[in-house]
Amino acid sequence: MIYSLLVMSSPASGQCATTAAQFARAVLARGHSIKRVFFLDKGTSSGSAMAVFPQDEADRLAPWVELAEQHQVELILCIASALKYGMLDATEAQRREKPAATVHPAFSVSGLGQLVEAASAADRLITFGG
Amino acid sequence: MVAAAPKRLLLLIRHSPYGSSLARASLDVALAAAAFDQPVTLLFAGDGVLQLLPEQDTHARGVKNIGRLLASLPLYGIEQVYVDAQAVAHYQFALDTAPLKAVPLDSGQISEMFRNHDQLLGF
Amino acid sequence: MNVILHTLNASPASSACSDCLRLLASGDALLLLGDGVYAALAGSADRARLDASGAAVYVLDTDAAAAGVLSRVDGVTIIDIDGFVALTEQCSRQLAWY
Repeated sequence: MIYSLLVMSSPASGQCATTAAQFARAVLARGHSIKRVFFLDKGTSSGSAMAVFPQDEADRLAPWVELAEQHQVELILCIASALKYGMLDATEAQRREKPAATVHPAFSVSGLGQLVEAASAADRLITFGG
Repeated sequence: MVAAAPKRLLLLIRHSPYGSSLARASLDVALAAAAFDQPVTLLFAGDGVLQLLPEQDTHARGVKNIGRLLASLPLYGIEQVYVDAQAVAHYQFALDTAPLKAVPLDSGQISEMFRNHDQLLGF
Repeated sequence: MNVILHTLNASPASSACSDCLRLLASGDALLLLGDGVYAALAGSADRARLDASGAAVYVLDTDAAAAGVLSRVDGVTIIDIDGFVALTEQCSRQLAWY
């Protein structure tokens, strides 16, 4: 089956963002494919190249990067949310005259049309919130 | 871009208009779906019904007015709008002055509505 | 299959929890995760509501373990992330409550 995921949970608060990454991994392990993971609202912080978590805690970024780099899973941050949370890729940082890009290159920044299309193309749309 | 047989999308909107950015995010999703000609239904429940209060004035607060955004939705073809009657009763306000026309549903009708849609998005 | 998978990531005292339990249909599946796992605490009034809902109730193992409730949720099914995916294979729709 084809899955699309919508992640609205913050990686810095609660367990759900981590659950979403583990879920994505398990979807692939069970032989399904993932059309796209779309991050909205607080979920866009998952794409941060700058966040630093305590060393004795699970890495929040690495599971997503692995999904993108080793399994070619498309990771898209909603641009309207991303900008509000300071999540800028290189293009946006330059356009907005900000000193640095903050989004990890495994993620792209794009519009909500990407969510609509991902939902439309998927047999399963799974949402992670709170 | 979008598949030929559109999936029917239900947005369950449960958060208050200004307590978080979820209300705005959910309405942006509704507008994006409408822009891609995806049929979208809105169902307000829980604190989400508070988005339907009239007389929202955010001028002094400096944020987008959710009531005004709701009022614009029919212009974009979003007309399937429902509300959990129990939540409206809890907050004791009348829907006739709401910025957006919303049809009240009882619990059984809401459960039925979940089953009449292909994809459910909880906000 | 006409069964909906509800995922509840909110405390049993929340309106997300009470709305979810009121609006799910008998025979639906309910996965408790995050703070939702506390709704399964054996003997609690919330657990009684869960049992009366007619839903098949599951808790996510990692979140139940973190919360310290693994030994206090007798009667509900404890699943891992693979089990979560399996539930989404069986249920064509999922609805997140939080």
